[in-house]
Amino acid sequence: MAPLTASYVSGGSASLDLKPYANYLRAGSVMIAGLIIGLLVTVLSLNAGYGFNSLRAGPWTAWPHTGAADIDPYARAVVARSGEAPLGRDQGLAFIARTDSNGAPLNADCEYRIVDPLPSARYWTIALASPDGRLLANSAERYGYSSVDVLRKEDGDFEIDVAREARPGNWLSPGEARDFVVMLRFYDTSLDIDSSPDPNSFPKIVKLGCA
Amino acid sequence: MRLNIPDRYLDLAPWVIATLFIAGIVHVVSVLLMPSVAPRDALARLTTYVKSAAPAEGLVLLPQMAPGAEMLPFEDPALAEAVCVYDLAKGPLRVKTSVDGEDYLGLSFHASAGRIYHSMTDRSAIKGKIDIVVGDARQIDALASADEGDAPPPQEVRLTAPTKRGFVLIRSFAKRPSDQERARNRLSAITCQRFDLPQG
Repeated sequence: MAPLTASYVSGGSASLDLKPYANYLRAGSVMIAGLIIGLLVTVLSLNAGYGFNSLRAGPWTAWPHTGAADIDPYARAVVARSGEAPLGRDQGLAFIARTDSNGAPLNADCEYRIVDPLPSARYWTIALASPDGRLLANSAERYGYSSVDVLRKEDGDFEIDVAREARPGNWLSPGEARDFVVMLRFYDTSLDIDSSPDPNSFPKIVKLGCA
Repeated sequence: MRLNIPDRYLDLAPWVIATLFIAGIVHVVSVLLMPSVAPRDALARLTTYVKSAAPAEGLVLLPQMAPGAEMLPFEDPALAEAVCVYDLAKGPLRVKTSVDGEDYLGLSFHASAGRIYHSMTDRSAIKGKIDIVVGDARQIDALASADEGDAPPPQEVRLTAPTKRGFVLIRSFAKRPSDQERARNRLSAITCQRFDLPQG
């Protein structure tokens, strides 16, 4: 009995038993932890936008490089995952706003007013979309306005109201959606994509109040 | 001055470094692989639609955008769109139309895996015509050598596509919702056809 007891005591704790394998265990956990951290960083970075070189003007952001052959790997991954076909760089430029001009996230329970001015372009459109780029069903079946069909005041300025309930004049409704984004697209624009645009030449998104 | 770090932390240091190293590799590889493994990218979506539509090749008009019936996300509802999905293994492609100079028409040429290798609008049409040939490097070379010697210089624009498969997306702008029909008619006037290389 005595030798058996001795070996039982010496091998008694699990750490001693595993000691020869400790490095394998560590290597295994390094592999798994590395895999998880790496994939997590990928998911976070792809959710953050379309890679580098964004253009910002107030609440508006565009990624002009998604529309050209020099698109960076992050933007390619985002575009492939979402399934979108970006606007070509020589065709125009698409800006997205996820916040109002004060930086607060857009909320469909609130009412907003989108007001002048706009940089020059052959045509522009302002439209609502869901955060993942779908059209928002609404009773008016109106999803956006273009530079041609927006109603203007006598001095040529315009306002677009964003609200669930009908408004006189230019009105866009997010319908029953909870979140939405505003897309501002320019077609054949002379906007310089290599320098940061002047926020004062872009429309403001003003919060009017919340339900 | 001596840093007072317990030995067991120093022992762990190589393992932490190894973890970060692997995490870095996994991150880079997963980002780079995403375009080729993403199951629902634009090319896959459009290929599925074109196969279900009547003509299996050539220009296919996309249905008018409506909530729940969007072919691609983040598209402008003011546009009417048509697509020409191609596979250059079957031969080069010619996209041809005439433009009226008034209405916006945008053509973008997409390679597989999310890269646009050429884009233009009706503004860059030559003498009111858009005439673009898409081919792989070998096909474009063959066309260039067929030009030599005879005939006037070609009016067509030749593009070398980086991948065999891809699509041409054509966007026609409807200034008002009531112009959708007109915008779609403009798309119908565009031809997108595969042709045979000249012999020789």
